[in-house]
Amino acid sequence: MYGRKASELVKEFASCEPGQLSTFNNDLFTQVLEECDGHLLHLQPLMRKIQDHENELKDCRRSEDDIGSSEDESRKSEAEKLVIQNALKSNQFGALVHHLSLVRNKRCLMAYIHNRAEVIRNLGWMVERVLPEEIQEKLSSSEEEYFKNHVATLQSYTSEVDLQLNVDMVPPKDPFVKVRVLDDIGQIMLSDQVANLARHAIMFLRRTDAEQYITQGQMEELTS
Amino acid sequence: MDSDAGLGSTADDYESLLSTTDAELWKSAWRNEKAAPEILKYDVDLIQRSRQQIQLMEEMADEFNKNGVDPLTVSLYQMDLDRTMFLMRSYLRTRLQKIEKYVFHIQKTAEQWNRLSRQEQKFAKRYATDLEHHLDQSVLSKLPDQYRSHLRQSAASEEDDMVPEPKLDTYVICKSKKYLGSFQLDDG
Repeated sequence: MYGRKASELVKEFASCEPGQLSTFNNDLFTQVLEECDGHLLHLQPLMRKIQDHENELKDCRRSEDDIGSSEDESRKSEAEKLVIQNALKSNQFGALVHHLSLVRNKRCLMAYIHNRAEVIRNLGWMVERVLPEEIQEKLSSSEEEYFKNHVATLQSYTSEVDLQLNVDMVPPKDPFVKVRVLDDIGQIMLSDQVANLARHAIMFLRRTDAEQYITQGQMEELTS
Repeated sequence: MDSDAGLGSTADDYESLLSTTDAELWKSAWRNEKAAPEILKYDVDLIQRSRQQIQLMEEMADEFNKNGVDPLTVSLYQMDLDRTMFLMRSYLRTRLQKIEKYVFHIQKTAEQWNRLSRQEQKFAKRYATDLEHHLDQSVLSKLPDQYRSHLRQSAASEEDDMVPEPKLDTYVICKSKKYLGSFQLDDG
């Protein structure tokens, strides 16, 4: 059945949790591309046959106009025309089916890539430059390149506008927050002081400094 | 203050004075941008003025810190600064996200392209090139010739039908600024 593999690909993407990526399904992807090539192989000869039939019909009509035909001859040419028209229609329908399946496969493939790219972009807001290992395994090589390009584009915009855009994701309630450090980060230069971020330390930091570590999971906010 | 005017009009004066402050302008620009499905006009003057004011505020806050002024005052100024910065950052972020969603449509319509700031236009161009390159590399180069466009489904399509457009007929919540009387909506 045409288009089944492509819809499997789309369903696989939809069944992941939103915001999570599954491994790039290279096998299924290449299978759909092969199906597209198959459609093209069917489509090209059909289009040629359609062109031939249309030419034949034109010839029939022209020969009818030229020769003043008798009744017998006109009936024969009508029958001929009918045969050609039926063949033309069946080829046209076949070509339409192949064309539409090809378009559907194209849409499914593009939807898969496009939505994965959207998830990758959202990751770019949370992470500075390098993706963690577990996520990097799930991307195809083209997606990794896209991520790097996207981060570079964002950074060039940020430096032009001169404003850090990935802090303050939530409206601020307090200028300072109490955080507990979960991972051993060591000595870090913050906006107005140097701090030693040891594991399990409870610190009172500026919100803009702490937010980056909170989104990466290296610190947690103490709200009580 | 006018002594002849009644209480109603001084309240109006106060309201109109309040509505021209930068804070109000920021709030309404931010709210509009968040609620609208398409990208709105970029307010160049507001951003420039606000940047200058933010710089002044930061210098003032640093001075206060050094001079050991009452920490409550300092933290209030800091809060004000933080909240303005949040509004500005969130405004720019929302605009960027809308550009990312509808970049091909924005590039096609000149009117929408003019609503972007210069830096946003540069960002949009680079972003569109990145996305096209990624799509080409993964999918489009492997498809047959007539199906290689990222804007059209195939060479036989009459218009660019693969470009997502912002839905201009979604429902939005509006607040009226003054009493308008009753008027007819589209569906009765």
